[in-house]
Amino acid sequence: MQLEQRRRRDDSRHRTRRKPVHTTIRRHLPVWLSVIAGFLIWEIAGRSTSAAFMVPFSETLKRLWQLTVSGEFLPELLDSAKLFITGFVLALIVGAPLGLLFARVRALRIGVEPYIMILYATPMVALIPFILSLMGFGFAPKVLVVFLFTVFPVLYNTVEGARSIKPELIEVAKSYRSTEWALWREVMLPYTLPYMMTGVRQAIGRALVGMIAAEFFLSATGVGKLIMEASQEFDTAGVFASIFVIGVLGVGLTRVGLMIEQHFARWRQ
Amino acid sequence: MAEQALSAPAPAAQKPQAVARRNESTLVPRLITGAVILGAWEIVVRALAPQYVAKPTGIVMAVPRVITDPKFLTALGHTLAAVAEGLAVTIVLGTAIGLWMGRSAMVDRTIRVYINGFNALPMIIVLPLFSLWFGYSSGARIATIIFAAIFAITMNVADGARAVPREYIEVSRSFRSGRWRTLLDIVLPASMPYLLAGFRLAAGRALIGAVVAEFFLSIGGLGFYILYNSRSYHHNEAFVGVLLLAGFGVGFELLVQWATRRFMPWYRRGEK
Repeated sequence: MQLEQRRRRDDSRHRTRRKPVHTTIRRHLPVWLSVIAGFLIWEIAGRSTSAAFMVPFSETLKRLWQLTVSGEFLPELLDSAKLFITGFVLALIVGAPLGLLFARVRALRIGVEPYIMILYATPMVALIPFILSLMGFGFAPKVLVVFLFTVFPVLYNTVEGARSIKPELIEVAKSYRSTEWALWREVMLPYTLPYMMTGVRQAIGRALVGMIAAEFFLSATGVGKLIMEASQEFDTAGVFASIFVIGVLGVGLTRVGLMIEQHFARWRQ
Repeated sequence: MAEQALSAPAPAAQKPQAVARRNESTLVPRLITGAVILGAWEIVVRALAPQYVAKPTGIVMAVPRVITDPKFLTALGHTLAAVAEGLAVTIVLGTAIGLWMGRSAMVDRTIRVYINGFNALPMIIVLPLFSLWFGYSSGARIATIIFAAIFAITMNVADGARAVPREYIEVSRSFRSGRWRTLLDIVLPASMPYLLAGFRLAAGRALIGAVVAEFFLSIGGLGFYILYNSRSYHHNEAFVGVLLLAGFGVGFELLVQWATRRFMPWYRRGEK
């Protein structure tokens, strides 16, 4: 009786141990099948409609290969990347310390909070025409667009996080005669970092939108220029090729953002 | 997974006195900060920038002129109608797909790749394509709005439908309620807070989508009004449009917060 019970328990344990492999397949197989089905549908839809309207997947890849080999694609992609990274890094450098400062100085935080919320909710694209007429067509106005798209999620989430620091923590630090610098480094920063990373995750998506918006509406450069030119020349395959690359990049960057966020979320209690 | 911007509702049932005192202590610094920001803006623009650049006093002076301008009102009407139409389609379609995904693991696994993928795609990028497909028309604008907004709703509703407590479903099953009945009377109301959070995100994106489409396609609307006026050096007038957009953004935010408190008093995110 006892033995049988134990054996049954062993059995069930065995089953649970084997389960992961099985579920991994069960979980991932439909996804891959669905992706393959999607490409097939794209291929069929592309072949059965006019080439000006939609091009099949194979055609898109072929055009992408052509663009890459002819050396048109990679320089523009790098140009876009430069814009993305400059704006994003600037937003981090400004947004994160400013958020911590707002959180530390209570009066300041209460003062600026509603304005940050308003700016966070404002569609920043609406400012592009002003930036265009004030700053013209150089690299700086485009960086400003990416910066404006990116900085508020970082700032908003950092303030949100720093606001939730338990006052006891700061009090304890202070009663151990912690210096202001040590307080920032040992209490504020570690406590706020997970929230900041939520901001970074949101900011990655927004920076991508800002990058394309800047390339469309300010001077045309980078991948944005490639798409615009292709659509003006009715090179639908070229449009699809660039959108496909940006889509893959978007998915990849979002993944990275989620991974960063989840890595730091373990700190959050 | 989705950008769930579910915000915790303000703690209810505070003593009115405490609320009043707190409001007073926050209002003063807020007003001071606002005054400082506006003052700095005014001074910097007056000292450094050309005459046509928007400054607070100029914008205030422009407000009566702009809101009585029939051109502005038609532009506003066009944009709002497009956003409303796009959001209506988005809510119905997005909720339906989201519920389907949330209640069927198979569907979820099949579609989620695409929902995630399109959600990660910067929506502006489809504009050249949509202008090829729909022409430089308001159809392209509606399509952009729907494309910009639908994935936020779908993802949130799917997450909400999956988070419905098992007991609710079990109880409804044991009372022999049908599939549709369960879906509409149990799952949908239970995932309402997620739907609202999704709506908040979607509404913001729909506004951006409309403005961007008008920039790109040069079709009449608030976005085009801003573009046109800023190009013809009427920055003050254009900025009134921006303020209105910001107002809508904040308005949607407050609307969702209010609706969550008013219609879903049982929903407290902080308690989870």
